[in-house]
Amino acid sequence: MNGLRADAAVAWAIARKDARAELRGRQATVSTLFFAALVLLLFGFALGPDARRLTEAAPGLLWLAIVFGSLLSVTRLHQLEVEDGALDELARYPVERYAIYLGKLLAGFAVVLVLGGVLLPVVAILYGISLGEAWPALVVTVLLGAIGLAAVGTFYAGVTVRMAAREVMLPLLMLPVVAPLLLAAVKATTAALAGDPLGDLGAWLQLLAAFDLVMIVAGAATYGYLLEE
Amino acid sequence: MPQTTIYAAPRTREQTPPPAVATHQLARLFGRSAALAGVTMRVAAGRTIALLGPNGAGKTTLLRILATSLRPSFGRAEIESIDIVARPDVVRRRVAYLSHATGLYDDLTGAENLAFTATMRSVPEPHAAVDRVLAEVGLTADADRRVRSYSAGMRRRLALGRLLLNDWAVVLLDEPHAALDADGMALVDRLLQRWHEAGVTILVASHQAERVTRLADGWARLDSGLLIETGGSGVEADAPDLVGVPAQVGRA
Repeated sequence: MNGLRADAAVAWAIARKDARAELRGRQATVSTLFFAALVLLLFGFALGPDARRLTEAAPGLLWLAIVFGSLLSVTRLHQLEVEDGALDELARYPVERYAIYLGKLLAGFAVVLVLGGVLLPVVAILYGISLGEAWPALVVTVLLGAIGLAAVGTFYAGVTVRMAAREVMLPLLMLPVVAPLLLAAVKATTAALAGDPLGDLGAWLQLLAAFDLVMIVAGAATYGYLLEE
Repeated sequence: MPQTTIYAAPRTREQTPPPAVATHQLARLFGRSAALAGVTMRVAAGRTIALLGPNGAGKTTLLRILATSLRPSFGRAEIESIDIVARPDVVRRRVAYLSHATGLYDDLTGAENLAFTATMRSVPEPHAAVDRVLAEVGLTADADRRVRSYSAGMRRRLALGRLLLNDWAVVLLDEPHAALDADGMALVDRLLQRWHEAGVTILVASHQAERVTRLADGWARLDSGLLIETGGSGVEADAPDLVGVPAQVGRA
């Protein structure tokens, strides 16, 4: 039990450190939010003024914007470790490797959650969608989606962090893996906005939860190897 | 009462204390070039050894391997008879390492950087420990400033301070005097002296040969990845045996 408590303290210390650095380098967070909102705006222009078309496309475009924004965020969180050899120092701490992964994941989750929380009302305003009674289901969908994106993003940011072309390699590796998450999140969002007429919202949320679980376990089990040089 | 003289029994092989640091044919390749090629050495416990040699000699690679920051390509290394590849977790609790890079977080303050290390290394009473270390390295007045605004010398002092949060069996220092002013260099010398008196084994790589050899018991000189010469006391080396090691090793 003491071991678990110590691991939790390590994970919390890493998450707090990342969050603090992220908040102080505020321009990166704000830029990411603007970038994702801009993506939504440009998609809106590309689709034209047809309200029905925009409403149908909204869930997919929302999640694409969240995925693009999360790519930037997890890259930034690992960039902190590259500056002046911090990653080597982090790898040398005598702590459980999975605790380091969970700490980075927690920080990534918080950032992606903020991204989802901001983009949801933005998409509602831009595409003229009434969120109405769909709020609780949408919050659960964003929560589960943010966990999954942070889990995959943290892992692949660890894979690419020592690469010279990490900004290019991260999307190449991460995007194919998040395809099931994207599908489930878009379907769950669509079902939630439509009032769940087919009763399949629960199934999509379960798929999201299963995806999250598999990715967290896989990431926690293998992240330690990524820290070694 | 007749005076009795007690003679020490001759030392047998079993009674010889194990070296604090031991490497056997240690080699590390980067691509096709060898940064370290068949280094076999033993450092006695409690001794301070200066690692000398020009740029690219392999000093940093040797220290990084011993610190578990880098895996060896061939050979093995032990800290207090513990294999560094098999039990890195144990080694990391016993070995401190000051590298070229400071490993600090620019957007955290000096105190926050130390507090983070204190948590990660389970330092008891971390707040008091952080305050004590800041005072020791002369950064109390700058504790709440972000590290981004520190000078290179202040960053180096803070990185050194991180090593003062714990007690160590072995301390590895890579160019500890770099970027420091006269006061900073004197601080490094004092720390070396203090660790030495506490029985800590120290390996210190430096281009300031005169300065570090004055503080050291012995020295080892590397060149092109080979350990070519040792002197003083506390360090022994064997010639590299490259038989059986891939042909790239040695072609630095």
